[in-house]
Amino acid sequence: MAARDLLLASLVLSCSLLPCYGVVLFSSLQRTLVVTASPAPGQVLKGGVDKITVTWGLNQTLPAGTDSAYKTVKVKLCYAPVSQADRGWRKTQDNMKKDKTCPYKIVARPYNSANKTSQSVEWTVQRDVPTATYFVRVYAFNADENEVAYGQTTDAHKTTTLLQVEAISGRHKTMDVCSICFSAFSVLSLAGFFYIEKRKGKRSQ
Amino acid sequence: MEVEGQATQPPKFALPVDSENKATVFRLFSVAAPHMRAFHLSWVSFFACFVSTFAAPPLLPIIRDNLNLTASDIGNAGIASVSGAVFARVAMGTACDLFGPRLASASLILLTAPAVYFTSIASSSTSFLLARFFTGFSLASFVSTQFWMSSMFSAPVVGTANGVAGGWGNLGGGATQLIMPLVFALILNIGAVKFTAWRIAFFIPALFQTLSAFAVLIFGKDLPDGNFRRLQKSGDKTKDKVSNVFFHGISNYRGWILALTYGYCFGVELTIDNIVAEYFYDRFDLKLHTAGMIAASFGLANIVSRPGGGMLSDAVAKRFGMRGRLWALWIVQTLGGVFCIILGRVGSLGASVAVMIVFSIFVQAACGLTFGVVPFVSRRSLGLISGMTGGGGNVGAVLTQLIFFKGSKYSKETGMTFMGVMIICCTLPVCLIYFPQWGGMFCGPSSKSATEEDYYLSEWTSEEKEKGLHLASLKFADNSRRERGRKQDSETKPVDETPSTHV
Repeated sequence: MAARDLLLASLVLSCSLLPCYGVVLFSSLQRTLVVTASPAPGQVLKGGVDKITVTWGLNQTLPAGTDSAYKTVKVKLCYAPVSQADRGWRKTQDNMKKDKTCPYKIVARPYNSANKTSQSVEWTVQRDVPTATYFVRVYAFNADENEVAYGQTTDAHKTTTLLQVEAISGRHKTMDVCSICFSAFSVLSLAGFFYIEKRKGKRSQ
Repeated sequence: MEVEGQATQPPKFALPVDSENKATVFRLFSVAAPHMRAFHLSWVSFFACFVSTFAAPPLLPIIRDNLNLTASDIGNAGIASVSGAVFARVAMGTACDLFGPRLASASLILLTAPAVYFTSIASSSTSFLLARFFTGFSLASFVSTQFWMSSMFSAPVVGTANGVAGGWGNLGGGATQLIMPLVFALILNIGAVKFTAWRIAFFIPALFQTLSAFAVLIFGKDLPDGNFRRLQKSGDKTKDKVSNVFFHGISNYRGWILALTYGYCFGVELTIDNIVAEYFYDRFDLKLHTAGMIAASFGLANIVSRPGGGMLSDAVAKRFGMRGRLWALWIVQTLGGVFCIILGRVGSLGASVAVMIVFSIFVQAACGLTFGVVPFVSRRSLGLISGMTGGGGNVGAVLTQLIFFKGSKYSKETGMTFMGVMIICCTLPVCLIYFPQWGGMFCGPSSKSATEEDYYLSEWTSEEKEKGLHLASLKFADNSRRERGRKQDSETKPVDETPSTHV
């Protein structure tokens, strides 16, 4: 009896300790936030230039007190499945520590429980965001810095209301010119060497 | 010092030489012309080619985002980077036989430098693939390196010379995994964005490649006695016909076996160079420069492992002759396969790094051991055999990446395990190599008292012998008698130094 009680107690204890050890699964999170983003459907955002406005708030149909544990929120830019295909480094994993879906942080803020319906941020698409299809997700964190809830701009299958970003190419005209000049120099100098060799060969005869 | 243009007075060299004026010792820290200078020029230029060819892999986490690459695109580009050199190496072998290693290698390096410059302005998966494809051609300079060393160094040290030159060149594949992330970080610090910084970084390997080719042209010499063109014009070096060189190369089955086995030591090395940085970055969630450092340690082992293989080959040859060289090659390469299997199975970062380093030592030593055997397969078509073997190395890399590392079919770990199995299987043909005058792994030399002269002169017809075209092969045959090993050598009668047979 005592042994069984001990086992039960240790199980309960370890389960309550689990969130502290950071093994948070995405499937355990509740979708309680409503998130919208400004871009119109079909609009392509240019990296480094265009801005988006993200607005999030608690779903008003939920009972009061649902958000009592929320302390901070992180707004992130996430890859849509079409941009994850054949790219193992962007894979979605249930274990939040290993999940690579949402690499770009838009903003991290304390959760404003007073203004539940709409908190928003305006963000310029950074220059290192690659060309891809995205959606926006907002994670709510509790005091232990673990995710407890989320909301996203798209549906559960991540197929609707997606954002397109077109990144900068990273090329500059100067670079193009340098590449061409140096290449031409390499080939021409080879021709020059051959010519000199031929002249030397003729002279030694 | 060399006395110019006087055929009657034998030229004096800084190193002791044999009857072909090839150095009989290898002094690493000397730059004496022509032998050691040729060594340093060849390994540095080959190193530059390796740096360029594998400059992309450590930066792939950035490049794949900039160019929107999929795993298949990356795999294809990796395959392309090593496939160009398959035929380029064979062609290079023939070019060396005909034009000399100095011109052949410098031409190749300068003609492939534009591909590296153009990598900076790649804008799609196609342009990236093409840039990597054409850059990869530069790996054919391996053949000119080995040819040059085989022309400058005599039998007792040729394995060492080939091993060190090849190894220190291959070092580039490791060094680049350190250099490129460092250069990238530097440029990032100066203020460029990520997608521009990696592009600027590519100018470094490109410039290095260009400058090393200039050095080869200005300071290098094809043979101890001088450059091909001048020697050909003065009659000191005979000009051979492409078709004859080609025929005698491809009809020698040993060349084909070595091509296959080289595919599973060097080919594996190239494959790992292409995938290991991404493997550590993605599997263990490391930072870019950390993954680069670990990836670098694979290629950096070349500083001692490949030369070690070459020296081991020469050391066993002293006692056991060619048979020892073959046994050493088989044992070391098979062990490389075993460690590759283990690498695919370990799951922790520490164990992976440790196994990878052991694996790298065995696989690279096998490369050095292979080129302890290659110089003896043919004298007339030395360049072509070197080219075939070298090309075979790249074929191995292409096949392995195609089967195991393209797209998302196998995880990288599984691919490595399968690659290890393939290494073990494809090393077995070494058992089939047989030299009538020296023997093979399981058989002794032919009882019909076959000699080195018989073997090497069988490549020349009697008309050609009448014209005296075979004299270089005769000298080589005499110098290669050491491959009988110590026991046999003491039993053979001493032969005259001067070639006496003129039919």
